[in-house]
Amino acid sequence: MNTGQREALLEAMMNELVSNGYGEASVEAAMRNVGVSRAEFMSDFRGKDDCLFAGYDLLADRLVARASERCDSIESWPERVRQGLAALLDQLAAEPGMARALTRAFPGIRPDTYERYVSLLGRFAPLMTEGREYAEVEEELPGEVELLSVGAAEAIIFGEVDAGRAEQLPEMLPEILFSVLVPFVGPERAADEMRGASATG
Amino acid sequence: MGDLGVTTTGPELLAVSDRDRILRALAECCAERGFAATEIEDVLARAGVSRDRFDTHFASKEDCASAAFNKLVSDMLATLSTAGAPAAGMAVAANAVLEMIAAEPAFSHLGLIGFRQGGTQRMRNAYESAARVLSLMMERTRLGRGAGGLSYTQTRAAVGGAEALLRRELAAGRGSRLPSLLPDFVYAALVPFVGQGEALRQAREAARWAAEEER
Repeated sequence: MNTGQREALLEAMMNELVSNGYGEASVEAAMRNVGVSRAEFMSDFRGKDDCLFAGYDLLADRLVARASERCDSIESWPERVRQGLAALLDQLAAEPGMARALTRAFPGIRPDTYERYVSLLGRFAPLMTEGREYAEVEEELPGEVELLSVGAAEAIIFGEVDAGRAEQLPEMLPEILFSVLVPFVGPERAADEMRGASATG
Repeated sequence: MGDLGVTTTGPELLAVSDRDRILRALAECCAERGFAATEIEDVLARAGVSRDRFDTHFASKEDCASAAFNKLVSDMLATLSTAGAPAAGMAVAANAVLEMIAAEPAFSHLGLIGFRQGGTQRMRNAYESAARVLSLMMERTRLGRGAGGLSYTQTRAAVGGAEALLRRELAAGRGSRLPSLLPDFVYAALVPFVGQGEALRQAREAARWAAEEER
């Protein structure tokens, strides 16, 4: 399998998972879909679970990479967070099936698949650390403030994706931005940023 | 026992303990392998009860999980309401909940992870309803008198931050460590309402209070 075929297969497998659930997700159907033979499949994967884990990692890497692409070069931290979050919400809205696979279908299979979701959330935490420099207080913020911030966004995103409203996520950018920033900068400045995000849409 | 005149073998008492054993066994199985992969037979084997006894109490695996979830939620609400008046501060209530979760890692795992992530749509709806109640409680108590103006989404998000921390620790089998994170939880719950200075002050206060309780 070349890279293109491999990615197509992984995507097909994640679609199987989202559409049919773990038990019914069919490797054969995914292979047929992208024209990959059993032998080719077996040379790359040990089986269905191995393929699903690889599929999840692909979607997760892609999500993080696309968000970073849009915001990595931005100097100001609040602006970087806003653009990164906007990119994230845009992607989830554009591909609701992928959003479902990332937040629920795969993490819900078993405890070890759920751990991958925890790791994915953990990848966003270091991107928030710079926010500590923006606190309005002198003292050190609590040790887990990054995860509190990421978890705030996750709760809203998960709820909307699960309710079949992923398409509406970009409209919620201002409120989600407030919730992500507030542990770092406090409610007043988070509200300023929220108004800024509403104004520029 | 007979000497004390207490009968522990009456049918009602047995029924209660069967039910509790089943609930606990289900929670433990789900924490180990997830809701979907848990079979009723596994639960029966772990609980040491017959299928008949299961059927007496529950219509299905989901029904049983719902009972376990309701137990967790009602214990949590009871803990919150008995943890003292709002004047006693956020610390007492939050600490009581964290202690409860730490003491019941399997039920908490099922409630916070299994129910939300691994179950049926009905289970997720029940989870979101419980989170909604908690968010509205926070809104109502206003946590910060001067707050006002925060939307439901913003309040729900504050609860979400705390949930993420709970879930990470439970998933890693570190539920017993949760009470040591009390200041983080207090900060998360307060900061959108009262600002950083006051939230940090109360988080410090909570740490001091917890250290004194320890002694």
